[in-house]
Amino acid sequence: MQIKKNAIRVGTGLAMAGMLALQIMFAPGASSATGKVTVWLEENSTSTCFADVLTSANKNSGLSFAMTAKPQLTEAMRTALASGGAPDVIFTPGPAFTSEFAKAGLLEPLDSYAKEFGWNKSISPWNLALGKVKNKLYSLGSEQETMLLWYNKTVLDKLGVKVPKTTKEFSAALDKVAAAGVTPFAGGNTEWKPVNEWFLSAMWNAVAGPDNVYKALTGKMKWDSAPFVEATNTLNGWMTKGYMSGGLDRYYTRTFQEFQADHANGKAAFSMEGSWRFQNIGTQFKESGQEWGWAPFPTKDGKELYSIGVGSSWGLNKASKNKAGAAEFLKTLFTPTTQANLVMKCGMSPAPVQIAKKMLAGQEKRHADSIVRLGQAAAKGNFGYLTWAFWPPKTQNFLIEEIEKVWAGSVTTKQYLQGIDKVFAGELASKSVPPIPSRG
Amino acid sequence: MKSKKRKSRVKRGAWLFILPILLLHMLTILVPALVGIYFSLTDWSGFGPATFIGLENYKALFEDPGFLQALRNNFKWLVFFATVPFSIALTAAFLLSQVKRGGFAYRIAYFVPYVLPAVVIGSLWKFIFNPDSGITRILSDLGIPGFEKALLGQPSTALLSIAFVDNWHYWGFLATILLVALQSVSPELYEAARIDGANLRQQFRYVTVPGIRPTLVFMFMMTSIWSFLVFEYVWVMSQGGPAGSTEVMATYLFKAAFREFSAGLAAAAGLTMTMFAGIIIGVFLILRKRGWEI
Repeated sequence: MQIKKNAIRVGTGLAMAGMLALQIMFAPGASSATGKVTVWLEENSTSTCFADVLTSANKNSGLSFAMTAKPQLTEAMRTALASGGAPDVIFTPGPAFTSEFAKAGLLEPLDSYAKEFGWNKSISPWNLALGKVKNKLYSLGSEQETMLLWYNKTVLDKLGVKVPKTTKEFSAALDKVAAAGVTPFAGGNTEWKPVNEWFLSAMWNAVAGPDNVYKALTGKMKWDSAPFVEATNTLNGWMTKGYMSGGLDRYYTRTFQEFQADHANGKAAFSMEGSWRFQNIGTQFKESGQEWGWAPFPTKDGKELYSIGVGSSWGLNKASKNKAGAAEFLKTLFTPTTQANLVMKCGMSPAPVQIAKKMLAGQEKRHADSIVRLGQAAAKGNFGYLTWAFWPPKTQNFLIEEIEKVWAGSVTTKQYLQGIDKVFAGELASKSVPPIPSRG
Repeated sequence: MKSKKRKSRVKRGAWLFILPILLLHMLTILVPALVGIYFSLTDWSGFGPATFIGLENYKALFEDPGFLQALRNNFKWLVFFATVPFSIALTAAFLLSQVKRGGFAYRIAYFVPYVLPAVVIGSLWKFIFNPDSGITRILSDLGIPGFEKALLGQPSTALLSIAFVDNWHYWGFLATILLVALQSVSPELYEAARIDGANLRQQFRYVTVPGIRPTLVFMFMMTSIWSFLVFEYVWVMSQGGPAGSTEVMATYLFKAAFREFSAGLAAAAGLTMTMFAGIIIGVFLILRKRGWEI
């Protein structure tokens, strides 16, 4: 009798264990991978929220994601990769970095995972192209970004300035704002020198045109050609007139907090910043009691254009002892649900994946609108190219550093662009330029 | 004969004692230095294989206007630090040596900035230099010319402003070192000078300076070497900008290595910095060999 009872107990136990195993196996996001996956994140205002979203998305799997936020992540990751102490998942500020790591044989190709997880369908083709080195996929771009024109609606309404659509209207609007004693642009690069490239990215695409940028990036056009001279000179005019934060000396010394406050308080009318500004613009303007808005960056021909790029890139450490687990992390990260949660809960820009409109229900209308419009433009091939995603590292650093010499008057626009041409030609020859997706 | 043997044994013993530290030094200094020399002759990106390219990196460095500007800035830094902190520190140390009571409190006050991290000092002074909220705003409001614009935001004033901040933290340390040296000068020499009718300036010129010359020269040599290695203050306060006006060799190196993936070029820049430091040491060794009391 006792034996029978025990047999029933054992049988029931086994059945329950089996059901539990089946539940885990077929639960959403579940996989056969187990163990711990180490991930390093950039230490910033969204890192905790990001970790929470990923942990929550992973709660039904047998994996644990050990996410650590680190300051100066780029340098730390480089050193760790070189010394063999890097985490399982490799996070970088963009494809230019991951492609260097891939070329050195430090990353695991993702092609088989792309096939297994259906990334070829769910992730935008231009993003997949961006992560390739020698025709193999090594990284996935996250945080799809674009340069936008942000404006203080309260100030523009008061001054009777309309939101510009063309470069000509833009220049006229800036002159009108300046004449009224309001600073046209809020900006500052004391904390992050690459702020310089935000403006260059926006102006080259908007004024020189994305087709010319494509030609230049593929070596079919010189960077010192007339369209780029015109675009750079337009920007220089604004900078040297003191339109940015009231003068170059202020631009070089203003922090993010300071210049964004200038914008929210109405000291400045416009701001040329990326879509990441959605993270805090609502709070800043709510505090000041003023109204804000965004518009596509004004172009020479007035047609709506979004220059695209990614703000970060994810790969897989070749030396990882848990590659299957690391791939699961990427799978979890690049699901539309996770990306929608990152938008909704953390205010982050989503990766270029197809997010259904209903997933963004309840999201701040202007933010949701930008995501939809950017996604549509990218899908149609109506996009431009952001420097931090498509430019090779030496050229990128050159354009950031040397533009200040143009603004200081020690170098001419032509000399500056010739310098870019020279550095870029070297990187094009050494195959350091990432794959450039064609438009349309 | 016996004494010769003993001497040899003592010598061997001494070598045995220094052997562990010598091996450690070779492992941590000599080997990386040799590896660095090798990489400076390659196109290494910081990862993976490196291709030997001879002296191309050095050629590229000295053809790059950006590097030449950085080099010029290091020399400006050297001129500043070879004069300003020494003048202040020497004067302060001499005056402090005359103080009979409360001298220790002064010494602590001078020394405190030296123990603060560069990041803290740099950030603090960035705030002080803020043209809209810092002390420069107050000075500008008082009508003092030159403070209406951001000191760190103009190519003409940025380097000097950073040097001022670095000096703010450095001169107290220098003054303390010089004061210790001053205290080793025999008081009898001052007394003799006074009996001979020497005034304070003459005592300083003929007693103090010769008395502390070895310390003075050593600190001068170290300050000169450090002038070619400066990095933290420039990085924290300006990252080499605006328009490259505060770029120094170390910030150039950092950008080459971490922003451009040109580790070979960065190694060449690093060795060039070391070469300048080596030249300074060489000059002092030659002067010493020629009988200078240093």
